[in-house]
This record gives sequence, C-alpha cells and structure tokens, in this order.
Amino acid sequence: MKRKLFPLISLIVIAVLVLTACQPAPAVEEPAAEEAAVEEAEVEEAEEAEAEETEEEEAVEEEGPCLIIGALYGGPINDAGYNQAMHESVMQIKENIACVQIIEAENVPEEAGATTTMENMIGEGAGMIIATAFNHQYPALTLAEQYPDVIFEHAGGWEMGANFANFFGEPPDTWYIMGVAAGLMTETNKLGFVAAFPLGWTNTFINAYALGAQSVNPDVETIVAYTFGWGDSAKEADTTNSLINQGVDVVTMHVDSPATVLGTAESRGVYSIGFQSLAAQEFAPENWISGIGFTLGGKLTWLTSTVLDGTWEPIFLRCGIADECMEMGPFGPKVPQDVQDQVLQVRADVEAGTIVVFTGPVVDQEGNVKVAEGEVLPVDLMSSVDWFVQGVTGSAK
Amino acid sequence: MSTLAILGVISSAIFSGTSLLYTTLGETIHQRSGIVNLGLEGVLLISASSGFAVAALSGNPFLGVIVAALAGGLANMILGYLIITRRANQLASGLALMFFGFGLSALIGKPYVGIKINALPRITLPALSNLPTLYKSLFDFDILIYLVIPIAVLIWWLLFKTKWGLGLRAVGENADTAFASGRNPFLIRYQALFLGGMLAGLGAAHLSLAYTMNWSEYMTAGRGFIAVALVIFSKWHPLRAIGGALLFSGAVAFQLFLQSSGVQVSPFLLDTIPYILTLLVLLAWGGTRKHAAPASLGRVYQGGQQ
Repeated sequence: MKRKLFPLISLIVIAVLVLTACQPAPAVEEPAAEEAAVEEAEVEEAEEAEAEETEEEEAVEEEGPCLIIGALYGGPINDAGYNQAMHESVMQIKENIACVQIIEAENVPEEAGATTTMENMIGEGAGMIIATAFNHQYPALTLAEQYPDVIFEHAGGWEMGANFANFFGEPPDTWYIMGVAAGLMTETNKLGFVAAFPLGWTNTFINAYALGAQSVNPDVETIVAYTFGWGDSAKEADTTNSLINQGVDVVTMHVDSPATVLGTAESRGVYSIGFQSLAAQEFAPENWISGIGFTLGGKLTWLTSTVLDGTWEPIFLRCGIADECMEMGPFGPKVPQDVQDQVLQVRADVEAGTIVVFTGPVVDQEGNVKVAEGEVLPVDLMSSVDWFVQGVTGSAK
Repeated sequence: MSTLAILGVISSAIFSGTSLLYTTLGETIHQRSGIVNLGLEGVLLISASSGFAVAALSGNPFLGVIVAALAGGLANMILGYLIITRRANQLASGLALMFFGFGLSALIGKPYVGIKINALPRITLPALSNLPTLYKSLFDFDILIYLVIPIAVLIWWLLFKTKWGLGLRAVGENADTAFASGRNPFLIRYQALFLGGMLAGLGAAHLSLAYTMNWSEYMTAGRGFIAVALVIFSKWHPLRAIGGALLFSGAVAFQLFLQSSGVQVSPFLLDTIPYILTLLVLLAWGGTRKHAAPASLGRVYQGGQQ
C-alpha cells in the first residue's frame, strides 16, 4: 500500500507544482486593452448599420427607468484597482442621468459566465451592456449579433459591430507624467516597477514611465521584475522587497490590486506611485508621490445620452488625460512644491500635445533604433511592444 | 551583489518562508498520523479570509490570528468527518475540501477586498534600532516570525518526545496495531487534523495579516501544495521542515534578485527555479528507505471490523 501511495502522492504534488510553475497569463481583470488590444480600428465597417439600433429603449414610460444598463466586471468592485475604477465610472452615469437603472455583476472573469450574465441582464430589460474585462469582448460580440436592439460597449477591446463598440483611457501619456514625478523624487536614481507579466501594454507603460523619468533625470534606471500572477499578493510583496533591496526608492506596479505593493513600499519607507484606481492612496499615506487612475464616467455618460436620444454610433473611443478619461491623483505630503509645479507643467504640455511620449529617436536596451527621428510610435503597435527603452533593466519577453 | 541585496534575500526568505513553515508543520502532523491533506490550499484560504475579515472588523490583528487558527482547525474537521468518520478516500476528500475552500473564502473575503487593516505590528530588536529604515525594515519581524522556530521545536518535541506523539506516529504507521495497544486512532487523527489545521491557520494569518496586509481571492497561489511537497522534502520531520521552507522561499527571493539585477535570462525561466529545485530534491531523496513515509499514510482506518 505504501509503495503504491507514495508515487501517487508524488505524482499529484509534481503535477500541481508544474501547474503552479507555469501559471497561465489570464489577464482576468486587466485593463482589457492589455495583450492583444487596439489592432485595427474598423470604424468604417459599422457605419451603414447604425440606423436601427435604439428605438426600443427610449420608449420612455412614465414610471420605469428610461434605460437599463447592465455592467459587468471581471473582479470585485472594491479592489482599489481596475474594477473599482470601472465601477465608479459606471456609477457616474447614474449620477448624471438620474432616470437610468444600473444592474451590476462583479467577479465575472470567464467567457461562459459573461455570456449568461449578459443574457440575464438583457432578459431583465437591459438596453445597454457595458462589459469591462478582457474576456468579455467575444461573448459580448456574439450576443450583439443575437440582440441587435441592445447596445454593447466594451472597455479596451478592438472589435466593432453595428451595435458593438468600445471605449478606453490612454494610460501611456499619464505614465510619462508619473515618470517625471518619479525621476524628480528619486535619490538613488533607481525606480522599481512590479509587473505581472511581460505583455505588450505593460511594456509600453514601463517604457513611457522610463522615458518620463529620463526626461528630467538622465541617470535614472528603471528596474522591472515580474510576479507572474495578477493577484499573487505574497509574490508581490517579495518582488517589491527585492526591488527595494536593489536600491530602488520609488516603486510602482501593473498588477490587479495596488494594495500589497504600496503597503510594502510604505513599510520599507520607500516612495510609491499608484495605478488603476486612485483609491490606492490610502495604502501609502506617507510615501505616496502621486498616481493615475481611469475616470471614464464622463465619456460613459455621454455614450449613454447618445443611446437615449437615438444618436448612438459605434465608435472606437479612446480618450486621454486631456479628455478627463484618466485622472492624476493628488500629490503626497513629501512631494515638494517645485516638483509638483514641474510635474503639472509636463502634464499641461502633454495635454496640449507639445510633448508626445514616443517621439523618435527611441532606442531599445541593445541600442537599436525602434522609432526613428521625426517619427512617432503608432498606437496600434503599443499593444505588441516586446522591447524596453534604454535605461530599463529587465527582460521584456 | 550588495550587502543590502544579500540581506534582502535572507529577509525575504524569512518573511515569505514563515507562512510556508507553519503550513508545512501542520501537514507534517497530518501525515505522521497517516492523513494526506490535499485540502490544505482550501484550509489556508478559509483561514486567511476569515482572519482578515475579523482583523478588518475589529481592528485587532491578534484577534484575526486567533480566528484564522481556529478557522483552520475547524475547516480540517470537515475533512476529518469525511475521512475518519465516513471513511471516504483521503485524496478525493482533500481535493473536495480544497475546492470548497476556494468558494467559501471568496464568499467570506468578498466585502474585505481592498480594505486596509492594521497589520500585525512589527517589533524592532533594540540592537537594530539605530540602523536606517531601509535596513531596519528588513529585520522588523512580527510575532509570528519570532514564534515559528520555537513552534517547530515544540512540534518536534510533541511528536517524538511525548506519549501523545508516539501514539500519533503509531497510528500513522499502523492504525490497527495502535488500536490493539489501546490507542484510539479516530480520536488521534481528529486531534492531528485540528492541531495541523491551526498551524496552517497561523501560516495563513501571517500571509494575509502580516506580510501582504491584503486579502485577494486565491492569494495563496499554490502554497498549500508547496507545503505538501515540503513535508516529503523534509522527510516528515519538523526540524528539517525549517530548512525546506527557507530553501524554497529563499529560491523565490533569489530568482527575483536575479530578475531585478538584470541577468539576461528569461524571467519565465527564472520564475521556475524554486519549483525545479523542489522537484530535484524530491527526485534525489524520493527513493531512500531510511526516511520512508508513515506506513499507513493515505489509508483509511476502517476501525475494528476488518
């Protein structure tokens, strides 16, 4: 018996270890643009079919809501991260347009679950669906064909249809601004970036951050380390500590919830910068420099109003900090006034278009020119960047 | 490699090895009594979520630790009922407990995602108080870290130096013989599960209340299974488990050090180092006769009827 059991247990343990070691990269609650992203914005395709969309849901009855919106999220809406940012954006619609009714479903990471959730929402009378996780795009697209009267909006996707469109913020610009803040604050000239996986968008964020820091501090080095999990908190703490022990004195991250990374940096007395939701600031009350979050409520309100008045069209909507789709957090207590002024000046320049982040020449770690002088890295390539700019330590693939 | 980096690897090994060690000690007790608890992952999650919830509600992390330990013991009672009283298959019941833990912990933890808690306080040793924060914070340990090695010694003493431990090991080797010599295998296995579950609960408490200061779904990320591997790795011995847990978490810290120092090796590959190391040790030690598994490990005790 013992003989038989030992190999069995060993086998199970080995199988689990292997599974754990090669954890897949399911970007469950990611800013859905993440991996595959923007590819081709096929706006034109949809134009001919725009007419017949909206009639039903604006048949306003006296008592009932003027529009039922079904919103679904990949993770919990109180994660102080991406899902919370999306939830707050959706709730802003209700604040601005009182007659709408919002049905929410959180923790819907899987495609199958998303399909049934959306069908239920439509069954309850939803005339508009807002799907915010990466995995929601194709289920929503399929349902969009089935329910031509319902409007589907997906956060960060790239597919378009007669009644299916997408919207998202543009984080790279804001990462550049955060880089400026970090570059001015660092004393060791080393910045740490905790990333989940080496993915195209993550690499773009890191590059924008490094370029921003270098623009004010040419000696600055940005060190990247991966946790290989979107929510492995203990690994996030390990990684943050590892970076800090390399001499890093500003930490930021691209994982689901900023809580552990910011909390760990705070306990080590190291500066931090937030991402996804500005709610993260409470985890680093002392050493918070600033942060960036998604604030898409304004655009979602506008989209809803076009659904209500029947003028909704499928558009590939991308909006940045100038459009108030991204928001910059308040500065922390340790950020001196002149740094704040300088950062705000850069922000103004980015908004005005006088600073364009990926303007050539952009050189990668090995010294190859990735963006030639006088050119700009096109947005559709940002999702598939597999290189880091010079001054970044770490591997982009 | 700078001093800070070297100290950092050691510090990380201790911080993240603590929860592993508690869990491994718990599983050592289970296996010594003849039970393979593959539900440990679920037990950890239930403990971590309930401990975190209580710490968030009460504002008192110590209360959270106590609740986490109790939750671990109680979660194991489910397994105990299945495999001791109902005589179900241990491996299947363990896996069922794991999946139950996934669901239950998500439910318990749901309202507390993204909540900030008072973490378990860190205690600075007087000798270190003059160092700069960066260094001092490396060795600002919390109470659970200070206690983990004494507890490992205590478990060793319990298992190998007391009558109770002798009985427990006897049940693990041959429950029928133990029964014939006047022990109650049912009771002993329940006790083993409860004590082991409480230790796993302490590990989970360290993870959520001290180290990450956070609850997120499935935050244990396989640590329950690592602990099962470490039990085999450490040859069912509580003191060797200390080395096993430190080695594993040290390997994690070391590969992160390599990543962040910019070695030109794929980070995907580096990330597998701790697991490869564990596999290699399991392979190298797997077949020796001297330290074999408890003889009736995984066997359901059928009671007197035969």
